[in-house]
Amino acid sequence: MTKGQNFLKGIIKENPVLVLVLGTCPTLATSTSVSSALGMGAAATVVLLCSNMVISALRRVIPDKVRIPCYIVLIAGFVTMVQMLVKAFAPALDQSLGIYLPLIVVNCIILGRAEMFANKNKVVDSAIDALGMGAGFTLALLLMATIREVFGNGTWMGIEIPVLVDNNISIMTMAPGGFFVFGCLIALVNKLSGGKNAKKSFGCAGCPSAELCQKAQQYKEEM
Amino acid sequence: MKKTFSEIIKPVLVLTLICAVVTFALAYVNSVTAPIIAKSQEEEAQKARAEVLKDGDTFTKIDVDNLPQTVTEVYRAENGAGYVFMLTAKGYGGDMKLICGINSSGEIEECKTLSHNETSGLGSKTAEDPYCSQYSGKTADTLNQVDAITGATISSNAYKNAVTDALEAYKTVKEAE
Amino acid sequence: MTKFIIILLTAVFINNYVLTRFLGICPFLGVSKKLGQATGMSLAVIFVMLMATAATWPIQTYLLNPNGLGYLQTIVFILVIAALVQFVEIVLKRYIPSLHKALGVYLPLITTNCAVLGVTILNIDEGYTFAEAMVNSLGSGLGFFLAMVMFSGVRSCLEGADIPKSFKGLPITLIAASITSLSFLGFSGVIENLFA
Repeated sequence: MTKGQNFLKGIIKENPVLVLVLGTCPTLATSTSVSSALGMGAAATVVLLCSNMVISALRRVIPDKVRIPCYIVLIAGFVTMVQMLVKAFAPALDQSLGIYLPLIVVNCIILGRAEMFANKNKVVDSAIDALGMGAGFTLALLLMATIREVFGNGTWMGIEIPVLVDNNISIMTMAPGGFFVFGCLIALVNKLSGGKNAKKSFGCAGCPSAELCQKAQQYKEEM
Repeated sequence: MKKTFSEIIKPVLVLTLICAVVTFALAYVNSVTAPIIAKSQEEEAQKARAEVLKDGDTFTKIDVDNLPQTVTEVYRAENGAGYVFMLTAKGYGGDMKLICGINSSGEIEECKTLSHNETSGLGSKTAEDPYCSQYSGKTADTLNQVDAITGATISSNAYKNAVTDALEAYKTVKEAE
Repeated sequence: MTKFIIILLTAVFINNYVLTRFLGICPFLGVSKKLGQATGMSLAVIFVMLMATAATWPIQTYLLNPNGLGYLQTIVFILVIAALVQFVEIVLKRYIPSLHKALGVYLPLITTNCAVLGVTILNIDEGYTFAEAMVNSLGSGLGFFLAMVMFSGVRSCLEGADIPKSFKGLPITLIAASITSLSFLGFSGVIENLFA
């Protein structure tokens, strides 16, 4: 895989939100407006870049047994740093992201990339992977936020759009609209990819607890 | 012996080391950003207070007993221009935080919404101008002239009740001083 | 007393963690196919939420805040939750094997569940007292339970439905979630005015 392909896979083929279906919580919660979606995308990308690089650099040092706690500590550290920086230099963004800013810690994309990519690859490749995934995450959020803000509020980035601003469908910016738009987008991805990527069920591949999750399902089915 | 090291001591050592390094890094970032955060929050609050009470110069927080529950903080303008009240009302979708400036003659100068969770397009209109600006110039006697927003009675009532409480708190504060 | 009831009902219905705050979507979509799984997962979540709040609230109030270490919140909370989950699993396995059999498999999944971390952080942000924080956690857990159980019912009805090909699987699940959350919107505004 060349470096370009490595970068692009995060945006299209393995888009973390629309194809791998990871990080659904922040996707649904912060896509109510374009500006908060961009803020969330940027914050998550910075954390992902830092954590991927450090975890990749330390991949020979961290023992396998305690790797998950180590990753969590590192990620939580970067998240807190980003949180403090956002609070200091972009207080408005801190207001609009609220609780979802510290919750980047449990965003499956970040831990998922650490498990699936960073602990097996070189620092430079991990950084490119992080940038690609971050860009994919941001673009997917941007797409959803555009749909929700344009139809729900009649604005884009706060700029009023004629006609729509007087005929807004405010449900789009509320919780049900989030689920609805996300469902339609994934259906569209399925249609465009001709069913190749169609997820039969929820995409857990990148989730660190995927193995346990499947075990849980099998376990219950046996009972 | 070698096995004990790689099986038990090394994982513990690495984890502890990572924790320590991360903590120190955080302490450093915190020491850099904390003053900036405090300063920007203070500036933000000062700006909000100056906006609702234009003649006020410096504001100091005062403690008064027996205030209505909605009134969370009271600030006095040092030049006697009036008082600023921070209000938290229970709206339709949760807490609404308001700020309200009342001048020395007991008239509301301006009310503003700081944060809210109201339904966008309905209750959210309480935070916007045709509704907010109705309050300017009102006193305890003329407050009932404020028109509610159609389809958002609960949000409008919550807003109005909070402002009523601010006026009541104003009376209490005046008496106390 | 009224205050506790308001906090509880608000957490269950209005600020439902899954359907209006989008926390804990992973288990909501992943483990809601069968009623049994949904119940097991939710019970484990309620249990861990209560335990986590009981542990993190005192840590924040008596340990971090007095020492000016409030900024370590995120990192300390996630580690406490992770350790707690491990600990609970060991204790259950040793002393209450029947409960371990019912909840055990779900416990490790909860470590990275944003609903648990979310509730502990929100309890601090909202400035709740210890009792209020516990009530809020209970309400949040019950709200999760309610959403999971309702949704597993909706999903079992979907199984036999004839759905356009592109919508099969996840997309239709999300649309169903959208309609379920629409029903919860009806609760907003009710509770605050119930006691007014």
